[in-house]
Amino acid sequence: MKIGIMSFAHLHAEAYIQNLRAIPDVELLGIADDDAARGEHFAQAFNARYFDSYAALLSAKPDAVLVCCENSKHRALVEMAADARVNVLCEKPLATTLTDARAIIEACERARVKLMTAFPMRFSTPLVEVKARLDANEFGRVYAFNATNQGEAPLQQRAWFVNKDLAGGGAVMDHTVHLADVLRWYLQSEVVEVYAQTNRILYAKEIQDTRVETGGLLMLTFANGVFATIDCSWSKPPYYPTWGGLTFEMIGERGVVLVDAFKQNLTLYRHDLKRAAWNSWASDANQAMVEDFVAAIRDDRPPRVTGYDGLRALEITLAAYESAERGEPVRL
Amino acid sequence: MRVGIVGAGSMGVVHAASWQQTPATLAGFFAESSHDATRLAEKYNARVYKNYAALLNDVDVVDICAPTHLHHDFVLQAAAARKHIICEKPLARTMAQGRAMLDACRNANVKLLVAHVVRFFPQYALAKQNVANGSIGTPAVVRLARESARPKRPPNNWFFDFEKSGGMLLDLMIHDFDYARWLAGEVETVFAQSIATENPDAPLDFGLAILKHKNGALSHITGAWAFPPPNFRTAIEIAGDAGLIEWKSADTAPLEFFLHERAGDFPDVGLPSSPLREDPYTTQLQEFYDALLNDTPTRVTAEDGLAALQIALAAIESARLGKPISLAEARA
Repeated sequence: MKIGIMSFAHLHAEAYIQNLRAIPDVELLGIADDDAARGEHFAQAFNARYFDSYAALLSAKPDAVLVCCENSKHRALVEMAADARVNVLCEKPLATTLTDARAIIEACERARVKLMTAFPMRFSTPLVEVKARLDANEFGRVYAFNATNQGEAPLQQRAWFVNKDLAGGGAVMDHTVHLADVLRWYLQSEVVEVYAQTNRILYAKEIQDTRVETGGLLMLTFANGVFATIDCSWSKPPYYPTWGGLTFEMIGERGVVLVDAFKQNLTLYRHDLKRAAWNSWASDANQAMVEDFVAAIRDDRPPRVTGYDGLRALEITLAAYESAERGEPVRL
Repeated sequence: MRVGIVGAGSMGVVHAASWQQTPATLAGFFAESSHDATRLAEKYNARVYKNYAALLNDVDVVDICAPTHLHHDFVLQAAAARKHIICEKPLARTMAQGRAMLDACRNANVKLLVAHVVRFFPQYALAKQNVANGSIGTPAVVRLARESARPKRPPNNWFFDFEKSGGMLLDLMIHDFDYARWLAGEVETVFAQSIATENPDAPLDFGLAILKHKNGALSHITGAWAFPPPNFRTAIEIAGDAGLIEWKSADTAPLEFFLHERAGDFPDVGLPSSPLREDPYTTQLQEFYDALLNDTPTRVTAEDGLAALQIALAAIESARLGKPISLAEARA
């Protein structure tokens, strides 16, 4: 199976290219990028073929592409790929507007190609174990979640993350979708109400785009009555032992379950770093996600996370912006 | 200085032990249960008063460790008798009671000191000091958690009578409402959700609150009577624009005990502890003692107690109505 990568705007592309190469029978066709310097840089860094346009990559007949461009450009690239009858794994968030997200889903349905939203937490082994125990009803009725998906501000990695036109927002757009999706997956219930408060105190000077929030707290209410908070803030400093993390506390009839998805680390102290660093030995969730995408194409079945899941998570995220703007809960 | 304690429940016991560490004289006890009062009086070689008037006649300072709904009447009588007052948190059950208590003490020219003991826990005091001296810049997102088992349930336990205690949101979460306000200033709006189950096999209370402070900072407050005893977990996270403070009781315990449990061998109300030369309750009562003797300032005032009460009641109201509550409107 031949797979290409469309754009290295998103830093996850650097992980995915290695995930693809680790899968037998997958051939990394090459990469294209509308930023030629960036594309050539990563093509060289990863010893991959560089295509000087997306059209050139698509005309080389890949079976699938990974779309890793800036959030607001997802639609254009997914539509190109779908028109060429190429399966798509699209980076999260699926899009920055509901119109774009729906267009992405429709384009892939029309072309009868697979569409997967990149929600790797569905493949995180600690989260998968909790899901299995939840489905086995080990915790009794579940009442509430207290969740965090905090990180360092990505302005060091890629400047577009802090540009609203390209990213669709700040910390809320960057981090909400992961937990929104995990909670939908766990509860098999949809969010009916979103309340959010945001601010931009962290990095107020460093981030030029004043429309970009850096702190955010959300409260979600599900149709089944479960309530959950999500802290999506860019509140980890750049010298934190790791990039950030995803945690939640699940309150059920039998008690409390604490989940820290990225806790499987060594603490590493190195003379050259002059700070503690967390060195992960966890199972690679990205690897499992990319493998599921490949298997979905091979076996002609839906991927474990779909475009629809991406749409619902985006809906929750956009409702959070509306709530923060209006200062009251928003019904979905 | 002669101190009389009203109430011989868990806080009466703790305060009695702490008064012993100060130069004050523990004169005696008045409590609903003469059995409990007698036991304490014998331990500290102090008196048991037949009624509250007898206590007021014999002391300079009243320390009210009675159930929340009784604070108002005990304080008003003490003020009328021109006695200084130390009052357990929450200051009162309602804002009207709280305001009347402040007025009565102001008019009688007696001090009213509210025992928000969390401000005296050294890790909380140190985190506050770091924020005050600017070491992490302006606070942007504050996370505070306080999680334990439900207090034991003897017949007629007032904790479980919402009219008397206000439930977990008032009794437990008020600690962190007060602390959040101490750190990040006045609170503008509160949004909260909570659950209180009546399932006899799974008794639990859980609440989550999002506070928006006047200066734009956000606070996330978690309160739980949901863990199996004897757990008591607390946590602080303060993200500022120039740094981050993290503290978790579970990760910083200098002692860990893994002892085979004897049946029913846990206290009525779990209290957090860490070995210290002076326990925080003593630090608090010593500061109050100094204030009463020398008119020195205290780190917590009656106005702070009233403000914390207002936030807690707003959280209860928010959870009941499913709407954010504006404190400015509530004040008007």
